Amino acid sequence: MSADLKPEMILAIDTATTRVVVALGTGEGSVARSTSWEAGYRHGETLLPAIERILGQEGVARSVLAGIVVGTGPGAFTGLRVGLATAKGLAHGLGIPLVGLSTAEALLSADGAPGAVLLLPAGPSDRILVRPGEEPSLLRGGIEPELRDGESLVAVDLVDRAPPDALTRGEAARAGLGAALLRSGVPRLSSALTQGTVGLAALVPEYITLPRGARAGSGTVAWSRDLR
Amino acid sequence: MSGPLLLSVESSCDETGIALVEGGRRIVSNVVASQVALHAPSGGIVPEVAARAHLRWIVPVLDEAWDGAGVGWRDVDGIAVTYGPGLAGSLLVGINFAKALAWVHDKPLIAVNHLEGHVYAGWLLDPGEDESSRQEPLFPMVALVVSGGHTFLAEMQDHLTYRLLGTTVDDAAGEAFDKVGRMLGLGYPGGPAIQAAAERAVRRDVRFPRAWMGDSYDWSFSGLKTAARRIVAAARADEGLPDDDPDARLSDEATAELAWGFQDSVVDVLATKTARAAREIGARSILLGGGVAANAALRQRMAAEADALGSPLIVPRPGLCTDNGAMIGAAGARRLLAGERAALDLDARPSLPLAKR
Ligand SMILES: [Zn+2]
Repeated sequence: MSADLKPEMILAIDTATTRVVVALGTGEGSVARSTSWEAGYRHGETLLPAIERILGQEGVARSVLAGIVVGTGPGAFTGLRVGLATAKGLAHGLGIPLVGLSTAEALLSADGAPGAVLLLPAGPSDRILVRPGEEPSLLRGGIEPELRDGESLVAVDLVDRAPPDALTRGEAARAGLGAALLRSGVPRLSSALTQGTVGLAALVPEYITLPRGARAGSGTVAWSRDLR
Repeated sequence: MSGPLLLSVESSCDETGIALVEGGRRIVSNVVASQVALHAPSGGIVPEVAARAHLRWIVPVLDEAWDGAGVGWRDVDGIAVTYGPGLAGSLLVGINFAKALAWVHDKPLIAVNHLEGHVYAGWLLDPGEDESSRQEPLFPMVALVVSGGHTFLAEMQDHLTYRLLGTTVDDAAGEAFDKVGRMLGLGYPGGPAIQAAAERAVRRDVRFPRAWMGDSYDWSFSGLKTAARRIVAAARADEGLPDDDPDARLSDEATAELAWGFQDSVVDVLATKTARAAREIGARSILLGGGVAANAALRQRMAAEADALGSPLIVPRPGLCTDNGAMIGAAGARRLLAGERAALDLDARPSLPLAKR
């Protein structure tokens, strides 16, 4: 990474799956420490205490963090909100850039095999299929993915809802998720710095299906600086 | 004014609010991004849309709160955040954002009950407002908090101590306003629309039922809602309107009379019980809060009741009755002074109660 980031410690966070991933990397994008834990739907209780612990273990003061990479999903709404809100608070407080990366793309990159396609849960019965560089597609309950020649499945958070070998590859990919986020996130952080765009506000989770009741482009929020 | 300076964050429902409040009273800065327009097309709050909008707006709201405040992080003594009750997904955004800020800036974190925030809005002073011109709430006190999500009456003998006197057994009062507003074709949110329509009523003789619930301080609004449906249907039949065509709207005159009748019923049960409770406990002040406290008819009636009792009525101005960050800072300052600190594992409590009976 460029000389702009000193002393070049980058924090990567992903809360899109049931396992929270937190990794600390160097400015070159290599992993200094990575950890993950089963959070279920309680990402919020554990994320910040874990970040504090990991920085402590590495002897890294929070003030030397130079950038944050956060997974934006697709994934569970609850976890994504916790990860993004925490990342925004940290980046704002520290005055450092934040970039959001697709968790799906990072998992595929962690798997690394050509032709890998990712299968993720979308609620209790639906699943989504993600091919690298393509729009994810929704598979309604019971619909099996149609694989193209040379493609193979990587599945995450789908115990009993995906083939065992796909789940095994999914676990391995998730173990490499922190490293993958750092690998693709660090160059993006550098360009965010040189362009002076931190873009904290615009970062929101990636949803494959619009939340129930939502309409694309419906309305906006009204501002008030509530001073008489 | 002295006392701790708090940065406070509110995101429990559909307003993203961040404020700076000094000494639990003086507003330094108070910024609210309201999603009302965002939810209007669906006629109610869509939780997932709300959470996403909080994420989108929380940083700009924080920046705006600092802008021109004349203070900096070094002046801040703590960060207060709403941890319940409310929509789980919305709460999570504010909580985790506030926790990260508290950790980075090394400030104490204070967890605040949203309902307590509505009560403590009664202590707030606007920037430049003369302290002596505004009555400070006196204990013992009764507090009525009425909003889209909550309707309760509590007794306070002192700061941060509540005894729940009564609550709604079904719908919140604000919810009833929304539903009846929709029946009358007045749109969402129903509260301001019904108030505006009711102000145009001339005859003021439509009688909606009141559920008195015996001697209790509880309320029920579901019967009123059912009655409203029947009364609206009868009025539509009178005007020869089809039941099933929402575009065929009642005349403005009939809409105004029905809006008045409905509002009068809600105001009557709320004010009567609050006044009775105030008399019973010998309240030295009566406090009104929550989004429905912005309703002019309720404010007028409560003022008359308070006058008759000889106790001051304390009602924040309308902008501080609806959800905002400043009210969380007001309550948070009391909790900070009481020595309370929240840990970094603070999580959302969607059904957090204010107090037990
Ligand atoms: Zn409220």
